[in-house]
Amino acid sequence: MTQDEIIRELLDFIAADDAAESAFDRLALEIFAYQFKHNEPLRKFCLQRGRTPRTAKSWRDIPAVPINAFKELTLSCCAREDAERVFMTSGTTMGGLRGKSHHPNLAVYDASMTTHFKQRFMPDRDRIDMGILFPDEDVMPNSSLAHYLALALEHFGTDDSRNEMGKSGIDFDALFGWLKRAETTGVPYALLGASYSFVPLLDEMKRRDVRFALPAGSRMFDTGGFKGQSRDISADDFYTQLSDSFGVPRRWCINMYGMTELSTQFYDNGNEVCPSVKSGPHWIRSRVINPLTGEDVPRGDVGVLTHCDLAHFNIVSTILTEDAGVEVDGGFLLLGRADGEEAKGCSMAVEEFLKAANVAATG
Amino acid sequence: MIERAGYLPGVAANDIAWQTLRFGGNENPIEIAVPELSDHQMQSMAATVRTASRKLKARPTQQIVESIDRTVARLLDRSEPIRQKAEDLLPRVTGYDAEMVRLGLTGYLKTFRKPELQKFLAEDFANPMMLDDFQPMPKGGLARAFGPDILAHIWAGNVPGLPIWSLVSGLLVKAGNIGKVPSAEPLFAGWFAQLLAKTEPEIADCLAVVWWQGGDTAREAALLREADVVLAYGGNDALAAIRGRVPITTRYLPYGHKVSFGMVSKSALNSRKVTATAHQAAYDVVRYDQQGCYSPHVFFVQRGGKISPKEFCQYVAHELAAFEKKYPRRSLSVSEAGAIAAWRHQEEIKSFGEGGRQILSDATGAWSVVYSEDSEDLAPSGLNRTIKIVAVDELADVAPRIAPYRKFLQTVGISAPPDELYALGALLGQEGITRISALGHMTAPEAGWHHDGRFNLLDLITITEIEGSAEKAADAFARYAD
Amino acid sequence: MDFRDKVVLITGASRGIGAAIAKAFAAEGASVAVNYLRNVDAADDVVSECRKTGGDASAFQADVTGANDVDVLIDSVLETFGKIDILVNNAFSPYAFDPENRKMFCDLDWADYQSQIDGALRSTHGMCKAVLPAMRGQAQGTIINMATDLVARPSVPYHDYTTAKAALIGFSRNLAAELGPIGIRVNCVAPGIVYPTDGTRDTKEDVKDMIISQTPLKRLARPEDVAGPVLFLASPWSGFMTGQVLYVDGGLVMT
Repeated sequence: MTQDEIIRELLDFIAADDAAESAFDRLALEIFAYQFKHNEPLRKFCLQRGRTPRTAKSWRDIPAVPINAFKELTLSCCAREDAERVFMTSGTTMGGLRGKSHHPNLAVYDASMTTHFKQRFMPDRDRIDMGILFPDEDVMPNSSLAHYLALALEHFGTDDSRNEMGKSGIDFDALFGWLKRAETTGVPYALLGASYSFVPLLDEMKRRDVRFALPAGSRMFDTGGFKGQSRDISADDFYTQLSDSFGVPRRWCINMYGMTELSTQFYDNGNEVCPSVKSGPHWIRSRVINPLTGEDVPRGDVGVLTHCDLAHFNIVSTILTEDAGVEVDGGFLLLGRADGEEAKGCSMAVEEFLKAANVAATG
Repeated sequence: MIERAGYLPGVAANDIAWQTLRFGGNENPIEIAVPELSDHQMQSMAATVRTASRKLKARPTQQIVESIDRTVARLLDRSEPIRQKAEDLLPRVTGYDAEMVRLGLTGYLKTFRKPELQKFLAEDFANPMMLDDFQPMPKGGLARAFGPDILAHIWAGNVPGLPIWSLVSGLLVKAGNIGKVPSAEPLFAGWFAQLLAKTEPEIADCLAVVWWQGGDTAREAALLREADVVLAYGGNDALAAIRGRVPITTRYLPYGHKVSFGMVSKSALNSRKVTATAHQAAYDVVRYDQQGCYSPHVFFVQRGGKISPKEFCQYVAHELAAFEKKYPRRSLSVSEAGAIAAWRHQEEIKSFGEGGRQILSDATGAWSVVYSEDSEDLAPSGLNRTIKIVAVDELADVAPRIAPYRKFLQTVGISAPPDELYALGALLGQEGITRISALGHMTAPEAGWHHDGRFNLLDLITITEIEGSAEKAADAFARYAD
Repeated sequence: MDFRDKVVLITGASRGIGAAIAKAFAAEGASVAVNYLRNVDAADDVVSECRKTGGDASAFQADVTGANDVDVLIDSVLETFGKIDILVNNAFSPYAFDPENRKMFCDLDWADYQSQIDGALRSTHGMCKAVLPAMRGQAQGTIINMATDLVARPSVPYHDYTTAKAALIGFSRNLAAELGPIGIRVNCVAPGIVYPTDGTRDTKEDVKDMIISQTPLKRLARPEDVAGPVLFLASPWSGFMTGQVLYVDGGLVMT
């Protein structure tokens, strides 16, 4: 298959209502064969494991590439120069190397985003007044989240929608103006941003002793969590604060689980209970695996999440994340990082060694 | 009957608050009761131990040696009830294979028989009688070694029996001992104390074994308050935290995590010797699943032998497969498995670069061998039977690759002819290596081993010297003075 | 026995015993590389049979007595299937099993022996050498060589054929001894007369009867009878067996 053929099939697949596992398998294996042919590091990775497209019988047989590989390698089927857009991770680990995903064009990414966003965040209306708590796409051209939110604004925001985060941070006065207006007019409002973007907002509201009672139909959106940010809040506390501060029931505080290394996102159906059940559309499938054996763990056991995202066709569609999770009815629960822990004995573990070695190096 | 850990002289059993630790997962669960002492209880127990240690100090060292020897003899006797309990419960608590535990216990306990205890003494003291009475010093005057009233031990890890090393050292210098067991293996130290009390009732109370939940700084403080010397095992973060809480006037002896490795000369890689070499290397990897400070993370293997380093990997891989049948690795937690997976993935990603790197692993993830031709530095493996084999032209080439990690180095297992062994000894010692053993013996240090290059007994004692000036001056006051 | 996710390469698999082995592996889910010398139609038939029974297969033409062909064959199989877990050395130089018109010892030249040795042993040697790097890279693998019960009991002295097979057994045992420590097992399967195959289609009835009368299980082997033991030796069920010769002849030979 050519790149164009794949894009066309994907767009059709995404637009369709649902897909049986067999249809998903067929397309997944086609894309795998395409990637195997054009993506040299992926081919090496698969051969190291004795797997070729020939011997893969279902999407579950496609070797899952560890997420770290994106930092070290260029995993692109198209030439780097031919990419319309490159999304990069924020790169706080491993000496500042940033994971890269090259997109030859954004048609599939955009279709994946808008189709599913509609289903999960806008099931009841076409457009809504939106406030975005994240820098603009122009300011952060390599941020997949910036692009995501730009799409949200463009396709689902009314004319009264704005990006409220400028170069100097959140424009509180402007934002509070919009929120007050929603309160008084009774027109629903949606506030979308990175989870950590809400922290200074909630702090400022506390400082000004300000709260809002947004009208029914209003909703909140957060993504990304608080890892590595200034403050650590539990999910439960966060959604309580959000709900109290804006008068939006937790059922309409939606969390999105996504990453630069995928072209499709997962959502929950609100956060009345934490952790919430996350699920994705019919063009992405997930497994919970034992990272050592690559096998699925027994249903209900904790393992590491692996996703097969058909939309991520130019890179690799099957990713092994570093997130621990457990399969439940309707989706999965995210349980934090599946990192290594300190050694049980007196033998040094990698994390401790690196930490100490870094300290030694920087004196 | 739930097994109770610990040994608490001077504290009534009924007064103790017991916590329950659970081991064994769902398949073979077991509960152990561990004691949590109040401040007051720790205080009165420390007083008991302190008083008992004075009695210990009045005993000749040889008598103490014999007491320990008699106790160890009982522990070596497989029909001894406590030994049988150990063989039954330690595998269930630690997860290590039962055969490995049994053979490991016997091998380890042999290190504390009478002749071996003499070696501990001889290694540190030119004249061990210094522990009993003032002895002449080379510089003049007399000196006597006094052990602490209370030696506090804070143990860590799940290697069965680890506490015995420092407990025996404490007893040999006639210290009173209070040791805190790790949650991962809370049993053996208490059993040792019980058996010693039974064998030698006279010195029963000079040993106490306690427990507290990791992070319970209040209980830790209660012990640290009583201690003259504190000995601690653990990771650097934990050790630094304890150091912060140890009074400046209390001696602190930390033993941190280490990275050990092996070296194989091409002389050990001909068609006849390779299988034995691979067997020894694999054995060092599987013992206690690499959890010991002396366990190898890497083997540096010399090119030029009949068997190449890359081929050597295959021999080691098969040995690990065979060991998996003989001593199956314990089951791992999600994050332990994640650590191995992360390490392996990192290696896989590196293998896309230049050719040469190869990863051999068991389908169930029970072991992994990574082969590398890069001139890479020493680095820890993913543990739990994951090993890297690095090809080098000369074993001496390794020195600069380990130099930056001086602080973490401990043991090197070497398979090489004599002239290479001694030359490497000099090079490695320069870089901070403190122990060189044969391949296959890395995880079984000899009696008297200088743990991390330190002194087992000397580090615990203080020397009181009667200077020549005092002696001379006293002569003037003797009734028989001329 | 589950051979899903396993890749098997069988030399001389377009007909007879080789074809039966190929189909048996495929029925257990294996991916089978069907090597053939000339008969592409027969090979393709085997391939489609394999796919029908639940496995996967592809045909690969190669003259396994030639070193170059062997390397190309291994490379093609690796490129298609990604790895090789099991190698079955079944090919041998054509032989007419004719008890009445066989070449007796004085009729034979060394060239006759050489031809059989090249067919059975040299091809096996070349294939083993070529496949080993791939198997070493996995620290496991299984090699199964086809011998004959005539080595233990020459009911009919086919000198050249049987001598080559005897050498093959010695070769296999030495290989087993050396490769054991790196996790690669080498075993032989020694059938008696297998009927019907190209070599035995014309065997006379009285010859067959004579053999049957001395066979405890009172019949001759069919190609499928040989497949079972081959699968056994390729499976983890025989994981602690190497250097063995399994006689599959209904008990004619017991050793």
